[in-house]
Amino acid sequence: FRYTRNLVDSGNGKFNLMILCWGEGHGSSIHDHTDSHCFMKILQGNLKETLFEWPEKKGNGEMTKKSERVLRENQCAYINDSIGLHRVENISHTESAVSLHLYSPPFDSCNTFDQRTGHKHKVKMTFYSQFGERTLCVSTRLRTHL
Amino acid sequence: LPAGLSQWFPALEVLDVSGTGLAELGAELLALPRLHTLLAKNNRLGGPGSLPKGLGEAPLGRSLRVLNLSGNRFAEVPPALLGLRGLQSLSLGGNRLHGIPPDIQELRSLEFLYLGGNFITSIPPELANLPSLSYLVLCDNKIQSIPPQLAQLHSLRSLSLHNNLLTYLPREILNLVHLEELSLRGNPLVVRFVRDLTYNPPSLQELAGRTIKTRNVPYAPSDLPENLVRYLSLASNCPNPKCGGVYFDSCVRQIKFVDFCGKYRLPLMHYLCSPECSSPCSSASQSSTSQSESDSEDEASVAARRMQKVLLG
Repeated sequence: FRYTRNLVDSGNGKFNLMILCWGEGHGSSIHDHTDSHCFMKILQGNLKETLFEWPEKKGNGEMTKKSERVLRENQCAYINDSIGLHRVENISHTESAVSLHLYSPPFDSCNTFDQRTGHKHKVKMTFYSQFGERTLCVSTRLRTHL
Repeated sequence: LPAGLSQWFPALEVLDVSGTGLAELGAELLALPRLHTLLAKNNRLGGPGSLPKGLGEAPLGRSLRVLNLSGNRFAEVPPALLGLRGLQSLSLGGNRLHGIPPDIQELRSLEFLYLGGNFITSIPPELANLPSLSYLVLCDNKIQSIPPQLAQLHSLRSLSLHNNLLTYLPREILNLVHLEELSLRGNPLVVRFVRDLTYNPPSLQELAGRTIKTRNVPYAPSDLPENLVRYLSLASNCPNPKCGGVYFDSCVRQIKFVDFCGKYRLPLMHYLCSPECSSPCSSASQSSTSQSESDSEDEASVAARRMQKVLLG
C-alpha cells in the first residue's frame, strides 16, 4: 500500500544498500539523512525529487522549496544533510518505479518534516524485506514513514 | 483486436494491451471465460463504445478480477464496467474523470480502487457502500471535501488524498479503525485555529424537534404529518458526550485540530448543537486562543492507536 524498502546488503556495517519499490502515486515525506551520504539510482520508471531548505530554528511557516527535478531511468542523485532535505515521489499514475539506494554510514532513524509548518519529528525506518526475506512488523502504534 | 481471439485462446487468463494505441476494446473479448486480468493502460480509450456492450453479462464479465484503464481518455467512469460484480481491482488513474458515479457501489467485490490523477471534485457517499474496499487512491484531483459516510468503509487500510483541495476532514475519519496509511500532503489544510465557522440560529421547527427528542416526548406516526415524522427521524446526536442534545439542520461547524500522532495537527470538522455546547475535545472556552494547542487528549490517543501512518507535509 505504500513504497517498500528492501535491504539488499548491509556492507559489514559500513553501508546499507536497498531497493525501493514505488507504486503509482507513492511518495515519501520530507526527510533528512542523519549525517550520512545518500546515493540514489533509478532502476525503473521515474521519480520526482523536491529539495527543501532546512526550516528556521523556530520556524512556523511553510517550508521553502529549493528545486525539483524528475529523475529518469539510470539517472543518479546524491544528497546529504548539508545540501538540504528532500521528498521523493513517483508521480506517475500508470507506472511503478524502482530505485537503488546506498546510505553510508547506515542509519535506522531520521526526521520527517511537515511541509506546512517545518515541524520535525524523529522516525524509525523499517524494512519491508531484508536479503529477500519478508520483515514482519509487530508494532501497531502510529508511525510516520519515509 | 482480432475477432477470433476467444476461439484461438479460450484459456487466456491475463491480457496486456497497454501502450498499443487502442481506441476501443471490442466484443471479441467478451467470450474469454478465463480472463481475470486485463491491462489496457496508456491507450486512446475513452470515447463511447470503448468497452464492449453487455460486458457485465458476458463470460468475461464474470471472470474479470483486475482491470487497469489508467492513462487513457475517460471523461466518465464507463457505465459498461459497473456490471462487473466480481471485479476486485480497478484503476482509472491518469484519465479525465470529473466525478465518480454513485453506481460505483455496484462493484460489490472491489478491494482496490485507483482514481488518482483526474479532475474529480467530489466523492459520492455511495462509495462508502463498497464492503471490501481496502485501498482507495484519490490523490492529485480537485476534491474539496470528504463525505463523512466514507468512515463506513470498515475494511479501508490505505487512503490516499494528497494534492487535493481539502481544507479539513470530517471527524468521522477517526472511526476508520483499520486505516494504516493516510496521505494528506499538498492540501490547503487549515493550519491556524479557526473559530466557529457558521451558526444559523435554529428554526421553531428545529427547537420543537430537539425538545421532543431530548425529552423523549412520545409520538406515533398517526399523531403527526408524515413529513414531520420523517423530520424527527433525521435527528443527529451532538458529539459532545456530556451533552445529550440533538440537532437537525442547525448546528455549529467547528474545526478542531486533532493531534494524530503527537506531532501533526489535522483539522477535523465537528458538528455541535449550539455554540454553547463545547466540543468533547476542548477544555478551554471557545474564546481561548490556546485551544489549538490543548487539543483532544482522548480523541488523539484513540486516533493514535488506530491510525498507523500519517504521511503529511
